Amino acid sequence: MKITPKETTFKPSKTIVPTVPESLECDVVIIGAGPNGLITAAYLAKAGLKVVLCERRYEIGGGLATEEIMFPGYYANTHATYHMMVDYMPVIKDFEMGKLGLMWIKPNSQTGIIFKDKKGLLLSKMLGDSVDSLRKFSDKDAEAFERVFRIYEKIVDEILAPATYWPPVPPIEFTTSMENTEIGRELAKVSEKSPIEVIDENFTDSRIKAILTYMSCMWGIDPTEAGMGFMVPLLVVRGLNKCICYGGSHKFAGTLSKQVIQNGGLILENAEVSRVILENGKAAGVEIFDGRIIKAKVIASSLDPHNTFNKLVGKENLPEDLKSSVEKWKWDKWSLFSVHVALNEPPQYAVDDKQLNGSFVNIIGLESHEDVLSFFGNIMKGEMNKIGGHTTCETLFDPTLSRMPGKHTAFFQMPAPYNLRGGWENRQDEITKAALKVWGEYAPNIKDSNLLMTVSETPLDIERRIASMIKGSIKHGDYNPLQMGYFRPSDTCSVSKTPIDNLYLCGASMYPGGLIIGGPGYIAANVIIDDLGVKKWWKIPDKIKKFVETYIK
Amino acid sequence: MTEKYDVVIIGGGPNGLGIAAYLSKSGLKVCLCEERLEVGGGGENTEPIPGFRIDPHATYLYGAAAPGFEQLELHKYGFRMVHFKNIGGGVTSDGKAIAFGIFNPEETLKSLKRYSDRDAQIWTLFHEKLFPNLVEFLRSIYWTPPPPSGVEVEQKDYPWSQVLKKCLPEIYDDSWNALSTFELLDALFETEALKVSFGMGSWYNGPHPSWRGTAINGFACNLLAMYSSGSPRGGMHSYMHALARCAIANGTRIITNSRVAEIIVVDGEAKGVKLEDTSPLGNRTIWADKAVISAVHVKNTFLDLMPKRHLEQSFVQKVKDINLNGGSLFVLSLITKELPQYKGEAKDIISGANYPSCVFIPVDSREPMINQMKDVYSFKTHPAKKESMIIPVCVHDIFDETRSPEGYHVLSPIYLQVPPPEYHRDGPLAVNNAKEEISNLLIETLRSVAPNMTDDKIVAKFVNTPYDSSFRNMAFVGGNWYGIRECEDQWWNLRPLPELARYRTPVQKLYLCNHTSYPGGLCLMAVPYNLMHILIEDKVVQPGKWWYPSPWYIAERR
Repeated sequence: MKITPKETTFKPSKTIVPTVPESLECDVVIIGAGPNGLITAAYLAKAGLKVVLCERRYEIGGGLATEEIMFPGYYANTHATYHMMVDYMPVIKDFEMGKLGLMWIKPNSQTGIIFKDKKGLLLSKMLGDSVDSLRKFSDKDAEAFERVFRIYEKIVDEILAPATYWPPVPPIEFTTSMENTEIGRELAKVSEKSPIEVIDENFTDSRIKAILTYMSCMWGIDPTEAGMGFMVPLLVVRGLNKCICYGGSHKFAGTLSKQVIQNGGLILENAEVSRVILENGKAAGVEIFDGRIIKAKVIASSLDPHNTFNKLVGKENLPEDLKSSVEKWKWDKWSLFSVHVALNEPPQYAVDDKQLNGSFVNIIGLESHEDVLSFFGNIMKGEMNKIGGHTTCETLFDPTLSRMPGKHTAFFQMPAPYNLRGGWENRQDEITKAALKVWGEYAPNIKDSNLLMTVSETPLDIERRIASMIKGSIKHGDYNPLQMGYFRPSDTCSVSKTPIDNLYLCGASMYPGGLIIGGPGYIAANVIIDDLGVKKWWKIPDKIKKFVETYIK
Repeated sequence: MTEKYDVVIIGGGPNGLGIAAYLSKSGLKVCLCEERLEVGGGGENTEPIPGFRIDPHATYLYGAAAPGFEQLELHKYGFRMVHFKNIGGGVTSDGKAIAFGIFNPEETLKSLKRYSDRDAQIWTLFHEKLFPNLVEFLRSIYWTPPPPSGVEVEQKDYPWSQVLKKCLPEIYDDSWNALSTFELLDALFETEALKVSFGMGSWYNGPHPSWRGTAINGFACNLLAMYSSGSPRGGMHSYMHALARCAIANGTRIITNSRVAEIIVVDGEAKGVKLEDTSPLGNRTIWADKAVISAVHVKNTFLDLMPKRHLEQSFVQKVKDINLNGGSLFVLSLITKELPQYKGEAKDIISGANYPSCVFIPVDSREPMINQMKDVYSFKTHPAKKESMIIPVCVHDIFDETRSPEGYHVLSPIYLQVPPPEYHRDGPLAVNNAKEEISNLLIETLRSVAPNMTDDKIVAKFVNTPYDSSFRNMAFVGGNWYGIRECEDQWWNLRPLPELARYRTPVQKLYLCNHTSYPGGLCLMAVPYNLMHILIEDKVVQPGKWWYPSPWYIAERR
């Protein structure tokens, strides 16, 4: 028996309750209220532009999702838990979000790795603490880390971080300008290598290489891929500067949304866009699934290239080279599988350094460098014969996630293939049990008597929740040299403007990419406001100005 | 670090948000403190599995007649509706059924005529004389503050009596006010299935239909739902978003994860609130020049947030004694592969375009309602036998495609009355310990008339009990989501206590704005609207030309 809303619903002839009109007009309509869509909307709304933000889900936030998946009573950050660019995102200072109650917590004990022989390695925000811990395994590597980390910090602070918030330039230009400075040359050196080469160059101990490789590649980087070496400085440095958002990652989205609303913007949830309206080949607005029409001067999409170009614009309306870039678009190399638990007591690890129990992240299940490499290799083949990944006990830092007093929530999250051999529908329970077993081998109190609830989410769930995370692609698309930088998603749209007039991009499939970095949204806001000839109310941060003067101009 | 506002509001559920919107639109500087991660209170949806939306509490728009929709212009903040052709129905154990919808009069009459011509006539009378005046009728009950103490209002002058006399002079009588909902239904209709369905619409939204003196409210609860016959697009959650955004756009400062630890009282006057340490702002004090408004439960307000020294012991005892019975609901949500397909004649009545959103099962007789009532209020235990089973089963996704992916359905909510944890004879965890057993009983009840709902069709189950609800939401004391019993002694000018009925409290500048006040729950935007009259009287606020009071409002005699 199939019954559809068309049959069962109706429009009252007399208004029962006034609702959003059937057709609206605004300056900018933004598709997708994830972090980037929200950032673009916030900047433009405060500039005085009339902004409408359309979101498919019942909640804004996209990857900034905090949901009660352990129902009832326990929330989890189902996507972004680790916020690595809080120190650099212009949006946080520009809107003075600290004053609005948005609070970030950056624990000193950042990332640990625990081995079966109960040895543990803990890398911290404080370099000295990291070096101390590394000495347990190798003095040579500890000293190398101290030296190399300083260089990596400069690479990130002077180039990679500010570059996140400035439009990309063609690689030839960038390569040339990098030669002008010492740090630029350091970056150039790592950029042409693969992550594994960068790590092998400086470190010898297998276990130390294990944690560094995992940290550099966990979000979907092939350790052996040439041209991806810059991920090592970026993710090792920013990976030791992770923040958790107090009250849940969604709080960041909520705070952003308030900026939109306070400045007269309209946010529509449950408002999936069904098409971009084209008039004479130019984007003129959008249509919502319920038939509502929103006309706008500018349409900005934060969605992935398939949704934006194939579904909403239509293949027949794309220029050939864009059509082919979209066809060639590669999804993330892997996705994530997460086991969330509600517990009486936080996980207690069997490890020689008790400070690891208070570490933001603990890597378990991976015993050596070879382990990590074969682990990623297998995942890229669709296998999950080894369980390993990272754990976090969220309530140690953010007790608000548990509504039941004194109880805790934690998760064991691991890189996992979307196309799992055997299929997630058939193997979710099996792998959940296997994951709990492995977790229990490292933290003996992960056992039934301590667990109140267990819920796992597969790459299929990621895809179900967030429409642009096709095949569980948390970054909207693979990180590889052919679709990064100036080529993300293609050289005709990496600076937000697309070949279709009035249509812009502002999401993770645009430069600089995914994870919660706020880069695409910020860049799009800057491009759109200039194109509309409206005055910017914000100033470009000094660090970014300096980067631009040194490397772009 | 101190912060100064005109008004501080404790709690950001539907009522807290409502008064925040009204006051900030009137130009006041408002701060709202919410203990949870998000505002919205009981007006929420959640997706325990991505894409599958459940309704842990509120599910239908009962408040469509609220002046707030136009006064606050919620359509400017995203408010949209999904209207159903049929909102409600009932199925008997032998597969007979009725389906009713205010926007589907022909089909409703058809299904009534099968059982009683007389009932069809009465329904036609309602359609012609009452429904065109439904807004006025509903506003006369819910969107009008109770009279001031010391003012005696005779039955004939009750606002709703005046309206009913105007619309239904043929049948209305002032004696209706003393009746129970069942007594009124028995006087009007013949068909037991119809009476049982309306009785459920009363009990599961307010008073039990056998409680005398509650007929007007009990019957009107059904009309509240029928007036809009729908739900906000996406669920009640999106309605709360619109309300919160109206408040934010008008300047309200909302802080979340900020539970209030104490209401600051100096010389008998409320001055502000102190937050718990766990707030991102720390245990800051937020000062309020004009008023502190408690949008949490009356028991939270006076027993948890108010140091005892500010209150008289006799008052404290009265608050302690306020009865919690009535809205403590066990909520089951099911994700299924099929829609319930009802047996017998019901198969044709409950199908296609006429499939109602809410189906009561089984509606043969009112006996299960009496048994269930005795289980819960007399024996103080949860219903555990077939004879006590009568339940509503709700579905939204056939009306609103945003609720569930294709190929699945979400039956949410499915409710059962149970005792508040505080009163259960076997202790506060008794219902939680029986989750599996109670869920199975609910599913069996559904299956008894919809045999296709076998275990293999049920993909996932979620349950929230009153105990769970009371932790998810501190203001759901007893897990009761219309706060406190909606019986004669705790209604209108007696709700929650006579001295609190006009939203004022023994503490100067402290007001109540919660469903423990009149007119109870259901996200009506009524408590805030009613409170506005009082705040205007007390010169706390002066709204603009967009404001209009209730035509039946009686001002304080000073």
